[in-house]
Amino acid sequence: MPEAMLIETTPFARNKPIAVPGLVVAYRDGVTVASIAAYREKAVALSDLIEATYGVALPAPGRRVSSNAITLQWSGPGQWLAIAERGQRGGAVRDLEAELKPIVAGLAAVVDQSDARGIVAISGTRALNVLAKGVPIDLHERAFATGDVANTHASHIAITIARLDDTPTFELTMYRSYATSFTDWLRSATAEFVHTQPR
Amino acid sequence: MSRGTSYRLANGGAIDRSRPLSFSFDGHDYTGFAGDTLASALLANGVRLVARSFKYHRPRGILSAGSEEPNALVELRAGARREPNTRATTAELYDGLDALSQNRWPSLAFDILAVNSLASPIFVAGFYYKTFMWPAAFWEKLYEPMIRRAAGLGRAADAPDPDTYEKVTAFCDVLVVGGGPAGLTAARAAARSGARVVLADESFALGGRLLAERRTIDQMSGVEWCSSMTNELAAYDNVRLLPRTTVFGAYDSGTYGAVERVSDHVAVPPDGTPRQRLWRIVAKRTIVTAGATERPIVFGNNDRPGVMLAGAVRTYINRFGVAPGRRTVVFANNDDGCATIADLAAAGIDVAALVDTRSATPRHIADLAARLGVRAINGVITDVEGRHGVKRARIRTTDGASLVVDCDLVAVSGGWNPNIQMTTHLNGKPRWNDAISAFTPGDLPKGMSVAGAAAGEFSLTACLAQGTRAGAAAAAATGFDAEPIDVPTTGDEHVAISAFWHVEGSRHKALVDFQNDVTAADVALAEREGFRSVEHLKRYTTLGMATDQGRTANVNALAILAKLTGKSIPETGMTTARPPFTPVALGAFAGHHRGHDFKPSRLPPSYDWTREQGGILVETGLWMRPAYFPRAGERDWLDTVKREVETVRRKVGICDVSTLGKIDVQGPDSIALIERLYMNGMTTLKVGRARYGVMLREDGMVMDDGTVARLGEHHYFITTTTANAAKVYQHMQLARQWLWPELDVELASATEQWAQYAVAGPRSRDLLSSIVDPVFDIRDATFPYLAAAELTCCGGVKARLYRLSFSGELAYEIAVPARYGDALWRRLVDDAHALGGCAYGSEALGVMRIEKGHVSGPELNGTTTPSDIGLGSMASKKKDYIGRVLGGRLGLTDAERPTLVGFKPLDRAKRLRAGAHFIARNAEATAANDEGYMTSAAFSPSLGHWIGLGLLRRGPQRLGEVVRAFDPLRNEDNLVEVVSPVFIDPEGARLRA
Repeated sequence: MPEAMLIETTPFARNKPIAVPGLVVAYRDGVTVASIAAYREKAVALSDLIEATYGVALPAPGRRVSSNAITLQWSGPGQWLAIAERGQRGGAVRDLEAELKPIVAGLAAVVDQSDARGIVAISGTRALNVLAKGVPIDLHERAFATGDVANTHASHIAITIARLDDTPTFELTMYRSYATSFTDWLRSATAEFVHTQPR
Repeated sequence: MSRGTSYRLANGGAIDRSRPLSFSFDGHDYTGFAGDTLASALLANGVRLVARSFKYHRPRGILSAGSEEPNALVELRAGARREPNTRATTAELYDGLDALSQNRWPSLAFDILAVNSLASPIFVAGFYYKTFMWPAAFWEKLYEPMIRRAAGLGRAADAPDPDTYEKVTAFCDVLVVGGGPAGLTAARAAARSGARVVLADESFALGGRLLAERRTIDQMSGVEWCSSMTNELAAYDNVRLLPRTTVFGAYDSGTYGAVERVSDHVAVPPDGTPRQRLWRIVAKRTIVTAGATERPIVFGNNDRPGVMLAGAVRTYINRFGVAPGRRTVVFANNDDGCATIADLAAAGIDVAALVDTRSATPRHIADLAARLGVRAINGVITDVEGRHGVKRARIRTTDGASLVVDCDLVAVSGGWNPNIQMTTHLNGKPRWNDAISAFTPGDLPKGMSVAGAAAGEFSLTACLAQGTRAGAAAAAATGFDAEPIDVPTTGDEHVAISAFWHVEGSRHKALVDFQNDVTAADVALAEREGFRSVEHLKRYTTLGMATDQGRTANVNALAILAKLTGKSIPETGMTTARPPFTPVALGAFAGHHRGHDFKPSRLPPSYDWTREQGGILVETGLWMRPAYFPRAGERDWLDTVKREVETVRRKVGICDVSTLGKIDVQGPDSIALIERLYMNGMTTLKVGRARYGVMLREDGMVMDDGTVARLGEHHYFITTTTANAAKVYQHMQLARQWLWPELDVELASATEQWAQYAVAGPRSRDLLSSIVDPVFDIRDATFPYLAAAELTCCGGVKARLYRLSFSGELAYEIAVPARYGDALWRRLVDDAHALGGCAYGSEALGVMRIEKGHVSGPELNGTTTPSDIGLGSMASKKKDYIGRVLGGRLGLTDAERPTLVGFKPLDRAKRLRAGAHFIARNAEATAANDEGYMTSAAFSPSLGHWIGLGLLRRGPQRLGEVVRAFDPLRNEDNLVEVVSPVFIDPEGARLRA
């Protein structure tokens, strides 16, 4: 069957790009996302199976790991979010729910979340200054190292935040319907930096 | 005090004389320099009368040079930026600054309400309680408005604030509160260790008192030393300097609130820059180096313009290069008189006398006075004279002699109070220290230390040493190695004091709390009337309750009360401070979250189309739901809603129901959990079918209703109402994680994954047949009422189809991944139009569910049981479930409880209103006769008149009866007929079509 006569809309489609010196705001569209929740006493077996399949085990609480094939992000006790590019493998469209379900059958509940989330990467020398205006946790490298993940909020919007590198780059995952309010906040938080270069 | 007379000194001061700034006060134009405050610039221009007091409208000048200022309060800026009660002593001068005096009419110099001063016997302490007691009705209408007009300060702006504010969180190892000598050394010691340091100071320049005194540190002038320290600190990556920032409160777990005045020093904030920024600072260790505040001495007319704190006199001379007067009398109970006469003399200002309350002037002061030719007197100032400013001081010497000395400036020092506010915000009790006649910090909150003047160490040598030590200790405590640092060296000084508070015997008012106009006589009156506890004194007199928190008043009042009661000061008590240390604008607390951004909005998939169509949105929780879609020619919302309902009933309509909560349930024990959550049985639910379900709270009341669809052997998909989505998910997690952790079941919120649209009306199947891919058969025989399926639509798009109806019509809900939501909606709209259908919103949905007798939010209001809303027979008797036991309580099973029925107005032309109460036809409209109330009402396009749902005592047994629907709020009283709650299609033929 041909894919989609319907045109896709991305979570941040209605929001104008934010261009600020010292900051790169990249909306991460085109991903497939699935939540994984281990059944009772199945977490170890689940992790082993995931590792055998993708080369990375399920990360510890507060951590995130990536391989070429998949990113696994802790999201709560016994729960993870699997993230991958939709068009990654040989041009075929990936659907992580469909991909994972048969693999982990009997070990975990898998639910498609590809459309439930808006994901944005915020990067650059001013990233910490901007995020401090909405995110109430310590994101300094000493407190929040690369690979760390936290469930918190940004300007009253529930998010999961991960540090990807020491640029620094942070990836924020939120519920899709909040994308516009989030961007409204982000625009106001970056307003003072629009006309000046970072130190 | 003629204008144009310059009181600017020829040299000196940390002002930039190459950058003149023009400003205006009360309509007169003046000039100051960059680096001035409004107060220093006014003084430089010879303006001494700047305000009228709160209650008595007494003329007031400038008492201090800091944030403790109780007198010099002005309205700063104009129009929408007008800001009342701004302290001229902290307002940084900028070009074009525009200020007005406040609380005076018609002018500052001639203020009619100064007659309040003559009427002062009725304005004494407690006057609110005594004078205007009777008659009670006069209070609100006459007395209070009258007092409010007479007493008060500035006017708030009338227009919305045009500026932006923001909130920021900062984390650090060491927070240093105050950038004086102790704070700078503390910050440097901590910074050198690599710890993350935040240093905040109220002023626009770091240095604290060092900017105001002539001192030398490490062979540098105090000012040079401050700027070299500032430069060093600014160079560290691990240091954040926050000038113009007041730490205003200490909160739990090392959290501090601070407000940064980002753009208060410019006329209009630069594009994108906030006016102010609220900092939430989370610190592992905090060093309070907040300095000290000088106390006045209480004597007659001690609030006249020209009476100024001695430390402020030195600040104006040394930091701002301004002579606060021409001829000075210095009045002190401590060694500060020494520095004051030295600085006055160095600035070329005449010193008429040094009045020292101590019986013997210390040798070093006597020597200096002699060298400078200053007359040293042991005694007190009893009063000053001069209507709008000091003209002379009356002095009583220790030997009892009286003399009068002409002067225009009285520099007064009653000693210094350490700024211990931060140490008391978390309930710390200060300790009295006799050696300095002041309170010092007591037990400190975890992680806090105090250094320098804030700790009661007033010598610069001690400040530098303590600051250095405290900084190193704080860094070490957070795991950083602080290298030893040499303590900067400076000269010796004298800081002796002999307590003296109040010169008794003046016939003039002697002010204790300047801002709230509380006099020494008021304190005595309170004591006479029995308000002897310091807490009672405060509330009875309002002492210490003004925006300055009584920083120049509290200890003096305590001392006066102590003397009156014959107790010591520590026995008398103390008043502890609460945040905020200085006033903080509400805008700063709101930050980004005002107006439309007060809270985030959630936008459903049809949002963009709705906006394009001019559709009306309604807030449902955080969701912006389409309410109705007006078309040209429709007169009002009712017209539109009628058209939408009729279209659905006759043809087909589509409605965005994506906002309903959706919860995915998987695992071997899914059904076990579901059975315990819903009151009705679910075990018989087959794969590919959906069922309506009701959840109860533990107490037996209905919590929410929704549907359960079974998608697989151990896979269920639950919907909730929009409003209760989060609550139900939380409730389910509680059941799963805490009540029955042994159940092997996992939950996932999937609300946002699916764009879901109701397709309702006789043509709904026709519409969907062009959407659902043809391989799927949705004819009634294969896809009957309450069927559920995973399928594809629009050429392979993953989709789910449910045959559910809220409207009572043949209806479906179709769901696609949210990324296709906008496109599917547009496609459905186009296809519906082709069939004579339309989009409908939550209003039409609400009308149709009332016509059908479906309960919703107004009925599921937390006070109704299943039986109350006609769902009692659904409750399973074969299983246990949450709410079953408590739902069986006597009161909840009472047959007399108001129960759901429908209502029609007897006069069909009448409008029904939700909220009306039911009363028997011939009964009186009293609460005792209340028999229930209308929960929902709507105009029914299908019936052509208003209908209602409501809870009526024994309702179902009273069908056909006529009762009153009485609405005292809207003054309506209609007769209504009790009918079945199902107004259309009671057999359900339509939804099974």
